[in-house]
Amino acid sequence: MSVKITGNNRRLPTARSQTINRGKSIQFTFNGKTYTAYEGDTIASALAASGVTTFSRSFKYHRRRGLLCAAGNCPNCLVHAGDEPNVRSCVTPVSEGLKVRSQNAWPSLERDVMSLTQLVDRFLPAGFYYKAFMRPRALWPYYEEILRHAAGLGEVVPATKPGEFDKVYKHADVAVVGGGPAGLRAALAAANQGANVMLLDSEPALGGHLRYATHDIGGQPAYQYAAALAAEVAAHPRIDVMTNTTAFGCYKDLWLGAVSGDRLIKLRARALVVAAGAYEIPPVFENNDLPGVMLGSAAQRLVNLWGVRPGTTAVVVSANARGLHLARELEQAGITIAAVAELRDQPEAGLITAINAPALTGAAIVRANGSRHVESIVVRAGGQERKIACDLLALSTGYLPANELMLQAGGKVAWDEALHEFLPSSVPPGIFVAGEAAGAHTLADIEREGELAGIEAALKARYGDADAQARRDTLAAQTADARSRRVAWSAAEADNAAGKRDFACYCEDVTRKDIQQSIDEGYSSIELLKRYSTVSMGPCQGKMCNTALVQLCAAHTGQTVRDTGTTTARPPVRPVTMGALGGRLMEPVRLSPMHEWHVARGAKMMNAGLWKRPEHYGDPVAEVRAVREGVALIDISTLGKIHLHGPDVPVLLERLYTNRWRKLDVGRVRYGIMVNNEGVVMDDGVTAHLSDNFYYMTATSGGAAAVYEWIESWLQTGWLLNVHALDATELRAAMNLTGPFARQVLAKVTDGVDLSNEAFPYMHAREATVAGAPALLLRVGFTGELGYEIHVPAGYGLCVWEALMDAGREFGILPFGVEAQRVLRLEKGHIIVGQDTDGLTNPLEAGLDGLVKLDKDDFIGKTSLVLAGERAVEKRLVGFTMPDGTLPEEGNQIVRPGKGPLGLEIIGRITSTRYSPTLKQVIGLCWLPAALAEPGHDFTVRVRGELKTGRVAALPFYDPDETCLRA
Amino acid sequence: MLQLIRHGLNGKRPFPRMWREHELKDRYEVVIIGGGVHGLAAAYYLARDHGITDVAVLEKNYIGSGGSGRNTTIIRSNYLTPEGVLFYDESVKLYETLALELNFNLLFSQRGHLTLAHNDSSVRTMRWRAEVNQLQGVDSRLIWPDEIARLCPQLDLSDHPRYPILAALYHPPGGVIRHDAVVWGYARGADLRGVHIHQKTEVTGIDVTNSRVTGVRTTRGTIKTGVVLNATAGWATLISDMAGVRLPITTHPLQACVSESLKPFLNVIIVSGSLHVYVSQSDRGELVMGASVDPYTSYSLDSTLGFLEGLSGHLLELMPSLARVKILRQWAGLCDMTPDYSPIMGFTPVEGFLVDVGWGTYGFKAGPVSGKRMAELIATDRTPDLLAPFRLSRFEEGRLVGEKGAASVGH
Amino acid sequence: MLLLTCPNCGERNVAEFRFGGEAVKRPAPEDVNRATWADYLYLRRNTNGMQREWWYHTPCGCWFVAERHTRTQDVSHTAFWSPEG
Ligand SMILES: Cc1cc2nc3c(=O)[nH]c(=O)nc-3n(C[C@H](O)[C@H](O)[C@H](O)COP(=O)(O)OP(=O)(O)OC[C@H]3O[C@@H](n4cnc5c(N)ncnc54)[C@H](O)[C@@H]3O)c2cc1C
Ligand SMILES: [Zn+2]
Repeated sequence: MSVKITGNNRRLPTARSQTINRGKSIQFTFNGKTYTAYEGDTIASALAASGVTTFSRSFKYHRRRGLLCAAGNCPNCLVHAGDEPNVRSCVTPVSEGLKVRSQNAWPSLERDVMSLTQLVDRFLPAGFYYKAFMRPRALWPYYEEILRHAAGLGEVVPATKPGEFDKVYKHADVAVVGGGPAGLRAALAAANQGANVMLLDSEPALGGHLRYATHDIGGQPAYQYAAALAAEVAAHPRIDVMTNTTAFGCYKDLWLGAVSGDRLIKLRARALVVAAGAYEIPPVFENNDLPGVMLGSAAQRLVNLWGVRPGTTAVVVSANARGLHLARELEQAGITIAAVAELRDQPEAGLITAINAPALTGAAIVRANGSRHVESIVVRAGGQERKIACDLLALSTGYLPANELMLQAGGKVAWDEALHEFLPSSVPPGIFVAGEAAGAHTLADIEREGELAGIEAALKARYGDADAQARRDTLAAQTADARSRRVAWSAAEADNAAGKRDFACYCEDVTRKDIQQSIDEGYSSIELLKRYSTVSMGPCQGKMCNTALVQLCAAHTGQTVRDTGTTTARPPVRPVTMGALGGRLMEPVRLSPMHEWHVARGAKMMNAGLWKRPEHYGDPVAEVRAVREGVALIDISTLGKIHLHGPDVPVLLERLYTNRWRKLDVGRVRYGIMVNNEGVVMDDGVTAHLSDNFYYMTATSGGAAAVYEWIESWLQTGWLLNVHALDATELRAAMNLTGPFARQVLAKVTDGVDLSNEAFPYMHAREATVAGAPALLLRVGFTGELGYEIHVPAGYGLCVWEALMDAGREFGILPFGVEAQRVLRLEKGHIIVGQDTDGLTNPLEAGLDGLVKLDKDDFIGKTSLVLAGERAVEKRLVGFTMPDGTLPEEGNQIVRPGKGPLGLEIIGRITSTRYSPTLKQVIGLCWLPAALAEPGHDFTVRVRGELKTGRVAALPFYDPDETCLRA
Repeated sequence: MLQLIRHGLNGKRPFPRMWREHELKDRYEVVIIGGGVHGLAAAYYLARDHGITDVAVLEKNYIGSGGSGRNTTIIRSNYLTPEGVLFYDESVKLYETLALELNFNLLFSQRGHLTLAHNDSSVRTMRWRAEVNQLQGVDSRLIWPDEIARLCPQLDLSDHPRYPILAALYHPPGGVIRHDAVVWGYARGADLRGVHIHQKTEVTGIDVTNSRVTGVRTTRGTIKTGVVLNATAGWATLISDMAGVRLPITTHPLQACVSESLKPFLNVIIVSGSLHVYVSQSDRGELVMGASVDPYTSYSLDSTLGFLEGLSGHLLELMPSLARVKILRQWAGLCDMTPDYSPIMGFTPVEGFLVDVGWGTYGFKAGPVSGKRMAELIATDRTPDLLAPFRLSRFEEGRLVGEKGAASVGH
Repeated sequence: MLLLTCPNCGERNVAEFRFGGEAVKRPAPEDVNRATWADYLYLRRNTNGMQREWWYHTPCGCWFVAERHTRTQDVSHTAFWSPEG
């Protein structure tokens, strides 16, 4: 079987189906060599057409693997194509210039050093790694590297481009998954009842298994019969056909995930028909993985879809009518049939006689022979073993119904002794399983059950009339006893003695003996067995191996297959790229109306929750100085802003904040903190009383959404207050004009209000016109200087900002950012919730006790604070300085001598610290035990590994008597 | 290793059984409910350290069928609170020698754990953690993009528009392990010492007389016992309700997924709190990935599409080159969440009814230390110092553990 | 549960909502002691069955009560809160 690169030397003279277009050639490479393909080829069909038989090396023993399923279900043809690892080459269209290479083989696919592991396989039973490499412990990391490099299939290409992934939403009355005869019938039946139907199929065309079959159906070849049916479906106005689309998940409430190339489709249906057919599965026998050993459907697909000759001399192993059809088709394609090994004693006589080859009935497969490729097969029939030469062994011995979508949705399956298949035993409401997925195998059964499922789905989606119901009842009655029976290969009955390199699991190279040994060790329930032996955990997701696993487990434990049960079906049905699942990141970025201005002025932007904010404009120290000595402007549009209307607002505020709110005159502003039920500080901010029944609340940028939700929750869930809350955060731009000259600057652009200190004092609010914009002015002082917060409708934000910057030019106005603000607030000793407090901080310890009025009526968190207040405060948030000028880092720990590996015990921590350009020293906030929290106390802080001394200082550091603030 | 060779040379000699099956006795000295890592480890240490072998472990399904067989196996000790760090550090140390002790390779892979900081407030929290860790002798430090790039070149460290990587908390001893192996190893160790492991045995009731436990009812019969340990994680409140003990726990599903197998390329564990994702590569080559708990309480083990979408989208933000890597399998487990993201261990108001619960999304790493210390508690009838911060009464006392701050994606 | 019915807006994808926890009644401050207050703060039924719970519909700002089965995720009923319960 040497591989000569000519291209297409294995093509049959004519393809039976129309998949490939011999008029158009495509060139691509595989392991560096150039191959020729035809349009319509998959990577694998083109390689097979050129005589390639080894596609990959197996996971553990690095055995040669050739095409097994040719339908995208097994691990054997995984390659690296373009940017993508682990590509199922048998279902991936080939494209011009595509670079394809094999995986997991070194130095080459043909000569793979790791295949030597086969020689020592008896030392490598399932789970061998649990029993080895432990001693000496120091060597384990080296052993581990070897194991790691031996494992793994494809490689990630570091430069992979994100790609053009996208997502779409779809809605359908009835979703039909699977475009074979059952799905086609179901789609038609449902659509004829009036339902809008979406039909999904992972193959490029409809028709299901008939698409690659040529046997006669009512006077025409199967594929033509299917094409006619498919055309009828495609022409139906209420059926939307999506080919090349794999439904990979059925989630709660019939929410389907499907993928088509790089597009994720999220489909919500009222009813779902699962008509996904069945996976043909291989029997377990010695050397069942040799290249040239393939599923009957694979041989059939090669011949009929792509016109590729899968071999010259074939043995067909059959346990069902399909196998016999296949033998006939292979003969017709010019392949010599050396023998048909029929597992049944009495196969369909008509089909047997139609084949020109000897048929052995009641046969059993003993082994395949060959080193690089199958050369012969040994079968036993009539008590006698026979060796038959062949280069193709086609296996048509059993199926696994593809009903995973139903299982994912909570359905159950049970083993059917007659069919040797797991069939639906409990189907979730809204789902209907039809065709081979439900165990039907003759075309008549499949089509009838398809129609039945379609009608049921339409009825479920509330279409159809009495006639439909009558039709449903008729069909259902026919179905009940019409199932045709057939036999499949059975592990229980198969010869147990052989047991060498007979793989139950191709993905993980697990043999029958591995499974038996695992059971003997105690892993006797199916889930434990799966986890220990790793059967079904590889790329095939159990499609090829699960049935054998269960059968072998049952046989070895002496249980019935039914009692043994099967493993849980987990999404996705087929692996899906993270690119398709992730799509493009749709996370909003929130920008203030003045954003472009900041960017144009060279601001260094930082993330603040979803917002972007200027951190500084180049020189934060100058910005601080401008606030303290001149005037400066900061964008605070990110602040939470909530409108509160209604007569009960004072009651609401009284309950939301820990301090008193009943008496707040119109025109006044008050600062407050909110705690949660546990008494933990959750937010702080100011609220202004603007007019009768109207208050304006601000919350921190980070807390805005939570505060609004919080208010709504109390309003709507029991307080029944007459208050209407509106989240105005994005409706308004806001800026803080602050510094000794703030009033002069503001006066230049403001009408309608007297800004003098007497008329508009600290902690008051006024409405005015600023630069022509209706504005709300709050005289508050986070920075510690005279300052006005100016809130205007968002659309005016930029123009007001620019007007203020213009007006301030003569005073040397600067814009300032978050960094300067942090310094300024620290100089004033203001806390930042979430930075200086944590998830357990109550206000009594955070130095906010003056704002907690435990004697007022109920407020949120009151009980918790009362209980906390019964105990002496144990720790406090205090100010500090560093006498030696060391600048600690936020997060540094305050320690004292104690136990612990460094001889130190943690007693506190630094939450905020900066060098203050105003005070020319390091200042900050820290947590300390209450006993050490008096100003003047020294403590030890670990800074970059060294112990330094800090000193507790009284707060605030700057302007303690508030002359600047109230100027 | 020798065992393998002997077996290989003499194919007929079977490996010994890992654990046996037993009739359910009508009396046990100690009954442990839950055959996860916590229950089995407690049984193992009871037998090994205290000679208490008349112990039954009752498991309604198969061992490891709960969180212990579903978790993403991150083991680390870089917690935020000193009490947390001390506790988990003992567990990491036990894990380091556990394979030898159990003579079962647990594939413990201490490849280093990186928690990414995407904004200045997480940088601050990371530093806080690093400082606390160092003071407890735990290897943990803040590192910057150049070092992050060396440890994990796959990360997009560019001036990324949405979630730039500013720094990371690096914890070299952090690692991953083969979870099932831990469960099986403890089970075998317990079985060898005489503990009865009863699979497919569901507890249906607990008998309490005068505030004392007297027995346990199961689907296979009733057991008399004076000591019951509830180690049922996601089902913890259902069990404690049977004893009339209420626990401050809500059950949330937590989902995870794996990719197809890939050649080794990711050498560290990456966690991003802001993006709610984490990823490691197992020795089998699969990427093991997860996110935060589902946002509502539930006992459902259903997977969701939203999880896959969110996880993939966020992970690709960090590592765009994974766009063509495929998800192979997704699943969910149940997490017993407490208000302070810390476990509940020890005595309850019902005498003889003990709990080892509240393991949330982070309990696998604690299996050894909890097992060992709960065994000590049972044997001595007193609370070991290491467990004291995690007592049930802390909620009423208003003395919660402060792990909340660091628990955003806290596995 | 993929869909939840907001009493304001109708059936919407659950991604639009935020879970607000099991519905519990806030005790009046005068009726509590340390133990009963801790119960209110921390103890939930955490039932494996039908649960009365709060949800918040972010787009419209509506808080409402839902009856949901915590294992099957089936939601039997949603409604605005009313003092009658
Ligand atoms: C997806 C996911 C990822 C996680 N990732 C991590 C991680 O990276 N690191 C980490 O440290 N932790 C992680 N965890 C958390 C961790 O899995 C758990 O905290 C831990 O496994 C709990 O162990 P356990 O033994 O207490 O409980 P489980 O392992 O859950 O065992 C409890 C057992 O009790 C049994 N049981 C319940 N009810 C009954 C009954 N009535 N009768 C008898 N038996 C009963 C159950 O069947 C179950 O087997 C993760 C969890 C999940 C779900
Ligand atoms: Zn709404």
